[in-house]
Amino acid sequence: MNGAVQTENLVKFYGRHQALDGVSLAVAEGEVFGYLGPNGAGKTTTIRVLLDFIRPTGGTALVFGLDARRSSREIRRRVGYLPGDLVLYENLTGQELLTYAANLRGGVDWRFAQRLAERLECDLSKRIHSLSHGNKQKVGLLLAFMSRPELVILDEPTTGLDPLGQHEFYRLVQEVKAEGRTVFLSSHNLPEVERVCDRVAIVREGKLVAVESVTTLKAHLLRRLELQFAAPVPPDVFSGVAGVRDVTVENSRLRCTVMGSLDSLIKTAARFEVVNVISQEPTLEEVFLSYYGGGRGDAS
Amino acid sequence: MLRNVFWKSLRDQRRALAWWGIGLVLLAVTTLLFYPAIRDSQELIQQAMQAFPKELLAIFAGEVTDIASPVGFLNTQLFFFMAPLLFLAFAIAFGSGAIAGEEERGTLDLLLANPVARRRVVVEKFAAMVVATIALATTFWAGLTVGSKAVGMEINVVRLAEMTVSLALLGLVFGSLALAFGAARGNSGLSIGVASALGVAFYFANALAPAVEALEPLRNFSPFYYYIGADPLTNGLNLAHAGVLAGLSVLLLIVALVTFERRDLRV
Repeated sequence: MNGAVQTENLVKFYGRHQALDGVSLAVAEGEVFGYLGPNGAGKTTTIRVLLDFIRPTGGTALVFGLDARRSSREIRRRVGYLPGDLVLYENLTGQELLTYAANLRGGVDWRFAQRLAERLECDLSKRIHSLSHGNKQKVGLLLAFMSRPELVILDEPTTGLDPLGQHEFYRLVQEVKAEGRTVFLSSHNLPEVERVCDRVAIVREGKLVAVESVTTLKAHLLRRLELQFAAPVPPDVFSGVAGVRDVTVENSRLRCTVMGSLDSLIKTAARFEVVNVISQEPTLEEVFLSYYGGGRGDAS
Repeated sequence: MLRNVFWKSLRDQRRALAWWGIGLVLLAVTTLLFYPAIRDSQELIQQAMQAFPKELLAIFAGEVTDIASPVGFLNTQLFFFMAPLLFLAFAIAFGSGAIAGEEERGTLDLLLANPVARRRVVVEKFAAMVVATIALATTFWAGLTVGSKAVGMEINVVRLAEMTVSLALLGLVFGSLALAFGAARGNSGLSIGVASALGVAFYFANALAPAVEALEPLRNFSPFYYYIGADPLTNGLNLAHAGVLAGLSVLLLIVALVTFERRDLRV
């Protein structure tokens, strides 16, 4: 069986600037695949190669086993896409925009599209230029999902969405997965990727840093924690705990870094009276650190 | 109107097209309103014209022979300078917006996310430009026909139609140039600039050739020569000349198809 997406040693130069430096990816059908990296890492470039908007300087890209360049139309028939820099036809209403896209796609299931619009609370009668940023994003999501494509490619999909919209979006992704279809989403937001994805590729400066299941990723994440106790605690009780490092104690306040599960730390802390726990989500840079900084010896 | 790229492109231009149509009819009618006055003071005008340097006249009126005859009046007052200027402006705006304009606004990604081949987008936009230009030429012709009847000008309306066909073909050459340049480079400002600059250069190459000897050899390279050099209003459409103009547009369409297919889209 062919994977949904397969790239082999993709290289892309824009003039002298190298945007992609040998990216080899394999996304299986039916999985939710996250493409994680800071802005300018090459996420959008990769996606634009898959859709044949740009041509790689080297390497190959296959979607459903079809060459991204030669079979682009067939690929785009089977793919729904949300651009990162979403620009819609401002002079059309949402309904007109959907109609145009549906006609170019040779028709869609309008009952499904209508239901989707209701779930996302999209007012399709309004002209696009009168919509807020978040509401435009919802129209963009509708365009990507409404044809029930076999593969949905989403570039930074939750930008500008309100929490309700985000929640509905996560549900949509789960439904696509439940139907055996594939989602490829790029993001610079780690919690989002953790929440919806099965596997994650981490990309930086045009190179893949790691491809991991979300479970593995979580197990190797360094998380900074601050615990506030009712009374001063002895530091040495904590420095021995599995996964815990960089322990500092100031009176009754403990700061440390934890790799993976918090279980041992919490159980140790429970022997004392805990007033407060502050957990900081690791930033992308910290994720990279945990991959570069010797946090693990088995990088594959 | 949202059936495909062709209809969508026309739909986007429907207001502009309506205003251009109104403007051209107004131009036709107001110009024709001067005709009776010119006809009735024929001798005075002829004297004045002879006193004028030939080179200066040539710039905006071509080889002036007989400004008081219907054909001479229409050729010098409308078809030599004003009408081509407007048709070029319309077609260049349409052509540069077709690919490059959509690319710069950022909607090309949205369009090409659908299963539409790039080539088809170019062909449909080109077809929309052709249809819009023909619609405008037809409107202009109708305005001239009605206007000439109203002021009692005796003009062969079939010849008039052939002249406007030539006019549309000329506009399309430069519209196709703007489209091709935009398709190749994705920059609408540059494509407007290049098409307009070449339009001006070719205009002068043709207009001044009869007066300035050094320009004579350049004349055959100017689309303006193939537009009006054979005087379609008197002689009817010269098929060879019309063929040159149509051929140029097709050639530029092919350039657009090939270059747009091969390049990266801009973000």
